[in-house]
Amino acid sequence: MANLEAARRELAAALGEGEVLSEPLALRLYARDASIVEGSAGLVAFPRSADDLVACVRTAAAHDLAIVPRGSGTGLAGASTPIGDALVVVTSKMDRILEIRTEDRLAWVEPGLFNLDLGTALHGTGFTYMPDPSSQQVSSIGGNVGTNAGGPHCLAYGVTSAHVHALDLVLADGSLARVGAEGPEAAGYDLRGVVVGAEGTLGLVAAACVRLTPEPPAIHTMLMGFDAVEDCAATVSGIIARGVVPAALEMMDQGIVRAVESFAHAGYPTDAAAVLLVEVDGIAHAVAAEVREVEAAARANGVVSVREAATPEERGLLWKGRKSAFGAIARIAPHYHLHDCVVPRTKLVEVLGGVYEICRHEELTVTNVFHAGDGNLHPLLSFDRSEPGVLERVLRASEEIVRLCVDAGGSLSGEHGIGLEKRDFMPLVFTPDDLATQACVRSAFDPSGRMNPMKVLPDGARCGDFAVAAAGADAAGVVDAGAPIPEGTWI
Amino acid sequence: MDLIAPTTRERVRAALRDASTRRSPIAIIGGRTHAAKGNRVEVDRELSIAGLDRLVAFDRAEMLAVAEGGMRIGALREALAEDGQEWPADAPDEATVGGTVAAAPSSPRRLRFGPLRDTVVELELVTGDGRLVRSGARTVKSVQGYDVHRLATGSLGTLGTIVQVAVKVRPLPHARRVVVVEDGVETERRLLEAVPLPASIVATAERVEIGLEGWPEEIEEQTGAIAGVATVAEILDGDTPAGPEAIDAPVVVEAGVPPSKLDTILEGESAFRALIGVGIAWIGLPDDGDRLTALRRRVAEAGGIAPVIRGPGGLGDAPVPAIEVHRRLKAAFDPANILAPGRFWGGL
Repeated sequence: MANLEAARRELAAALGEGEVLSEPLALRLYARDASIVEGSAGLVAFPRSADDLVACVRTAAAHDLAIVPRGSGTGLAGASTPIGDALVVVTSKMDRILEIRTEDRLAWVEPGLFNLDLGTALHGTGFTYMPDPSSQQVSSIGGNVGTNAGGPHCLAYGVTSAHVHALDLVLADGSLARVGAEGPEAAGYDLRGVVVGAEGTLGLVAAACVRLTPEPPAIHTMLMGFDAVEDCAATVSGIIARGVVPAALEMMDQGIVRAVESFAHAGYPTDAAAVLLVEVDGIAHAVAAEVREVEAAARANGVVSVREAATPEERGLLWKGRKSAFGAIARIAPHYHLHDCVVPRTKLVEVLGGVYEICRHEELTVTNVFHAGDGNLHPLLSFDRSEPGVLERVLRASEEIVRLCVDAGGSLSGEHGIGLEKRDFMPLVFTPDDLATQACVRSAFDPSGRMNPMKVLPDGARCGDFAVAAAGADAAGVVDAGAPIPEGTWI
Repeated sequence: MDLIAPTTRERVRAALRDASTRRSPIAIIGGRTHAAKGNRVEVDRELSIAGLDRLVAFDRAEMLAVAEGGMRIGALREALAEDGQEWPADAPDEATVGGTVAAAPSSPRRLRFGPLRDTVVELELVTGDGRLVRSGARTVKSVQGYDVHRLATGSLGTLGTIVQVAVKVRPLPHARRVVVVEDGVETERRLLEAVPLPASIVATAERVEIGLEGWPEEIEEQTGAIAGVATVAEILDGDTPAGPEAIDAPVVVEAGVPPSKLDTILEGESAFRALIGVGIAWIGLPDDGDRLTALRRRVAEAGGIAPVIRGPGGLGDAPVPAIEVHRRLKAAFDPANILAPGRFWGGL
């Protein structure tokens, strides 16, 4: 462990004594994120500047430590879970808004800034930052960039990648590079586009230049209740088929509505089999026209109740119900495993039925609250870890749910990412050539393989020799991104 | 020059494998509509993707279209319009889908509908050495692994041949209109602030054209907002503002700068169409290297880039960030360096 102590001293000299943690309790705290995997940390550092980030990267290189970037630790796929003696780089002290420039519709922020704090700072400017993951009160912009985070309003406005102009990155060799540009286009390949969603494996974000969107002039929010989950899902398809793309289209089943109501008291109908939260925004006349279309689609599918938000307070209450879902589920059982996969919108009913069936078979409690308009499912399995054998059932059900989504033509993840949790499912959707090429992309950024190793790519995914040989890099540059996940990593 | 025109992706793969083995430079060709974008290069052969021209899948309820790389934009437009949708790329009808993604031009409607890159959700690429690589997913949202499609979009055919793409499409608007105003300076900024959600605000030396799309009541409301801050000279119902094709000049540059810097780069120019709020300006120049050099200097000072999209001049010499990463990427996708070597930024 000599290298750890030497690395600690070096980092403490660069960052300050209080900014580096190595006590067992601290290491334990940073050994996991919000997923159901747990690893171990060697050191934890709290940089305050780009220079500090560079020092972290250089120190890690000098002492052969892996680097695991971490924002607020709200990640659900284990991308911020360290394995082995990794150096965990926590960006929570880099939380400043550096600049807001409405004339260029952009803001520069540090990676540790909470998503919601940017929204709050923009109040009164006429602009907003659109991506709104449910964790936005505590999740960081840097983490949002890492997972290409979504949120209810990404249906109409696009996920995080559509809202990032540029990133100042610290690369694995300790150099700083700006990928993307403040303007609409940058010279070179779209490195910005590939870094967003790369889960911290391509570089550390020192600053992000994000896109500001004009606030919509009019907003209409409504909550619809249905007697059958199928009717609710069919309404989603019906709305899209009518050529209407609402700002948000969120579905919740009865299990989650009941949990939320007893917690948030948002006035959701607890007797409905499913509810649909619909928000339409834009120019007043367009909003009125689209609300008519939404209501027609709902009527065609047997809507039972419609509640419209007449005031901003009522809108806030309706959203409170949706956004408290993950706080409310502690009332069902002490632990949960939140899933994230995307299916074609027209397959929602079928896949949802399959999810209920899988959980019935494994005798697990499942509730669903999800971005229906995007086809982005979030089955939530609630359990009590102390029950013998329950984790095996949860993992078995999880795998079946993933296979179900993939068989329906879906994606492994809509917004939480692959991390550790899903990396070994990657061969379900990609060929060995696809994965080898992805490994090449990774090693093009990080020939050392030091940045957040073991995440995203499965065991055995390798760039192969051709690329490295052609680039004239040394042979050590061949990344074997995978390597098996150690025993005991699942909680 | 030899032209290879495969009709299957297997033949595309064989052709590129062969070219790699012989280290014989090759250029990927679609409809040749964006061929001026990129540095001039010498190649032994061309490979046309126009033979791969199927619409693979389209379901209006999914709002996604999957097309082979050689499908013409005009054919895709017709197929989508039958179901009341469109891909808002605004490329010429004779352009191919793959070529359009590879060139990633800006649409005049980018203010409302964003850049082309955000519409590409899945892509299949044949690399320089003939591997078939797919990334992304056929869903509107996906985070699974490294988005190779992001790298291929705008790569000008230097990383591979785009044989298939899935793109997000959107409902066609119920009505379209162009409102022309002829007021002087500062009009654009007032319009940007006063008019909610225009599809485009295109400034020329003489006038400003505001593109509106949506429900009929919606564009009336927007027209009212325009009249509140500027003098309306003309209303063209059913129209949409033109792109760079409307500029009559031997050389056209597609400059991109932070939106507030458009004024500074357009100073002294007379033939331009500038996308207010976006920061793109198509600028017409005589075939005169000095004028181009001077413009590029102003654009660089404004923090932007100025590739030529018509006539000679190439991409320019703007610095490429993380050039080592670029070189390793190019080597990974095109190990024999046969795909139009030198056409891309940084001499790649």
